Amino acid sequence: MEGQVGGSGEEFAVGCLLSIKTTLGDEFDGQVMAFDRFTNMLVIQEGLKSGPRRNIRLLNANYIKDFSFLGQADDPLDPKKCFLDLSRLQAREHLAVRQAEADAQRIGVGVTTEAQNIFDALSKTLPVRWDKTVIVVMNEVRVSSPYLPESVSGGTAAANERVKKVLEFERKRLQARGSSQG
Amino acid sequence: MYNGVSFFTVECEVGFMCGIEGRGLLLLMMNLQQVMPPKSTANGFGRRRGEREGGTRLESKSQSGKSNSGRVTTTGSVIGSKSGSCAVSSHDKLLYLASCLIGLSVEVQVKGGSVYAGIFHATSDEKDFGVILKMARLIKDGNFRGQKTVAEFVSKPPSKNFIIPSSELVQVIAKDVAVTRDGFANELQSDKQRELMIDSLISQTRHVEERELEPWIPDEDVPQLPELENIFDDPWNSKKWDQFETNETLFGVKTTFNEELYTTKLLRGPQTEELEKEAARIAREIAGEDTQDLHLAEERGSSIHENLGIDEETRFSSVYRGTGFDDSGYEEDEDIVLNTHNNETFGDSSGSVDQISTDFAIAKSSDGGQLSSSSFIVDEAQTSQSDGTGADLYCSEIPSRNFSTLDSESRVQENLLGECGGNNDAKDFVEKQPLPEDAQLPKSGDSQSSPNREKAGTIKVGRSANATPYSTSHVLSKGNEKTSSHGEPVDVAASCKAPGEPQSVNSRGRPGSSASSNSDRAAATSASSGPGLSPSSSMGSLSSEKSTLNPYAKEFKLNPNAKSFTPSQASARPLSPVADNAFYHPPNVSAVPHMHGLPVGFGMGPSLAAQQPVIYPQIAPMQSPQTYYHPHGPQYGQQMLVGQSRPVFYLPNYQPGIQVLRTYQRLLFPV
Repeated sequence: MEGQVGGSGEEFAVGCLLSIKTTLGDEFDGQVMAFDRFTNMLVIQEGLKSGPRRNIRLLNANYIKDFSFLGQADDPLDPKKCFLDLSRLQAREHLAVRQAEADAQRIGVGVTTEAQNIFDALSKTLPVRWDKTVIVVMNEVRVSSPYLPESVSGGTAAANERVKKVLEFERKRLQARGSSQG
Repeated sequence: MYNGVSFFTVECEVGFMCGIEGRGLLLLMMNLQQVMPPKSTANGFGRRRGEREGGTRLESKSQSGKSNSGRVTTTGSVIGSKSGSCAVSSHDKLLYLASCLIGLSVEVQVKGGSVYAGIFHATSDEKDFGVILKMARLIKDGNFRGQKTVAEFVSKPPSKNFIIPSSELVQVIAKDVAVTRDGFANELQSDKQRELMIDSLISQTRHVEERELEPWIPDEDVPQLPELENIFDDPWNSKKWDQFETNETLFGVKTTFNEELYTTKLLRGPQTEELEKEAARIAREIAGEDTQDLHLAEERGSSIHENLGIDEETRFSSVYRGTGFDDSGYEEDEDIVLNTHNNETFGDSSGSVDQISTDFAIAKSSDGGQLSSSSFIVDEAQTSQSDGTGADLYCSEIPSRNFSTLDSESRVQENLLGECGGNNDAKDFVEKQPLPEDAQLPKSGDSQSSPNREKAGTIKVGRSANATPYSTSHVLSKGNEKTSSHGEPVDVAASCKAPGEPQSVNSRGRPGSSASSNSDRAAATSASSGPGLSPSSSMGSLSSEKSTLNPYAKEFKLNPNAKSFTPSQASARPLSPVADNAFYHPPNVSAVPHMHGLPVGFGMGPSLAAQQPVIYPQIAPMQSPQTYYHPHGPQYGQQMLVGQSRPVFYLPNYQPGIQVLRTYQRLLFPV
């Protein structure tokens, strides 16, 4: 099989079971799926069993501090079952990006965890979005740091009241939860 | 072109494409891409597989499957011929595995120890292996050794495209990767589940990947049974099919179904025909209204879509996507609750659709209150007593009042309710609004019979003709929030929903505000009885006018001293929120010892259900004229109601107007 001695002088035969330590302190066991000597990239599937879904690492062999040989097994990748469906991959990526973008909207940049928690709590029942570090509720009411009921401004009186109430309630809840967790 | 591919500059010696160096894989993939249609149907998947296997096989086995283009064939065969015995190069394997990662969320560790998480997009591959991530963010900072995750602060938004050069790359960690067919199938399944497109996902996302829809053509050998298809086409004609009759004939099952268990008994009397006519007229009016909502228009038989080239899907079923057409009149319940509730508080800045649903909910929720008061007022009207009680005031004045103010409101409500289509009950309540506040106010002023009365005078109804649904609903919602069990009669009825919140914003900005929902109700009810009809008639006739609220309406002030009313009989309604659109139907109470001067409570619209305690002012099932004296409330003559003894008729045929009629009667005769 592949895995001839390459520049590294190390041999990584496909199918080898190895226990590896990286220079950055990671340790794991796995089976070699591929080793490309040109790029010095080692592809390992974690765990010692193969299944439909696997955890895979692409490790730059330069960063292997130490490894030990655990055994030899067959090629974990069955060539007969391998093929690429490009459009599916594209679709998957597209979807993932879309979701990531949506998630990103919900995360405040440069805000404290507390603020983020408050945002998340408010977002359960109100449409909220971030405007820098200000939580904007329904495009009307603004809650700025330190996100206390006093920091609620804008909107109609009713809206304002409502946000204040929800904010108070959520704060209490977070406090209670926080204290109960010690 | 597939971005990821562009980074693949394959250097591959194994028969990848003889003579085609470097870009072999690229070409291969491009060919395949041209060949494959972009659809991801199940069929396509299988088909593609064959082709891919033929073309993409890094393993370079002999080609199987079909190839659609000459180029593919060529390359495929090249592979085949060359590769016979060649093992797959390690590089190919690396590429293959890297390709399997595309689109997955991975973590990349770099030289300094920092770890970035993002979506695997591509690798660069000449002599080195670099990686490009999308939407990458730092999750572990190498500078802070031992720290698990980045500290509380998210210091910057995720990077759209994040390049990690090979010199920095230590490792790429990916979990749950499918690398073989089994894995793919597995993944596909869970993908499908995840990609369940709920309506809100579709409407909010800009770009939605969708399948090409094909019209369904029925099988030819399926028996056509036209008589089955037509039988229910005419909802008005129930003669052809009586399910109970059929059931009894076929199975000998006797039904115990009694319509009156589920709705108000319709009490027929001297005025029934008039009432019915009026109700039918109103129903026709509503149904004939113009609407921008596609679905409502469809129901009403208008044909706005003919010229606009709206396809069948949009016409009947699609999700609102923010295109020009408004077909989102029917939102999911949850959204309605949220939206309406939010809209109540925050006003409606999101456009007509939300307004509609908002108003709808509001209308529904407010109906209870309205009905109550209206019923009450009708009673007054009918009985036309002469004692100077508040009751009187309502009834007698109603017909003569100027309904212009409330017409607009009613108009709005009518529009709103009408547009919300399906729910007949909602239509019923449309009637209720147009009641001149005038009717109420002077009464309130005049009666002075009790401090309560005055205070409970008019409810501040932020309801404005031009549908500031916000204010309207606001009032109502506020009313619901604040009202405890106000058991007071009329005033309470009026006030039950909207104890005057000083902040109940009257969008009209009228001084003293109080487009009294109270009066609305009053007006509404008034329509249901004989003398009451005139208001509704005038209401109807004036309904096309839009005008401002009654400038004389007094502001409603909550009476803190109002005693909580507890009905003394079983017909007491629990003060609990209604979970759905159901309106409260009073149970059948045959004998009522005495009269309660309270209007019936009605289920609130879904928007209010979850959040506020709902008050159901009680309506007195008034069997016998008795005077009910509420210690704090206004005093009403027993002329609450007439016609208890009217016989109840079961109407076999559906008529829209009947529903309206039913609603009136529900108010009047809470049986």
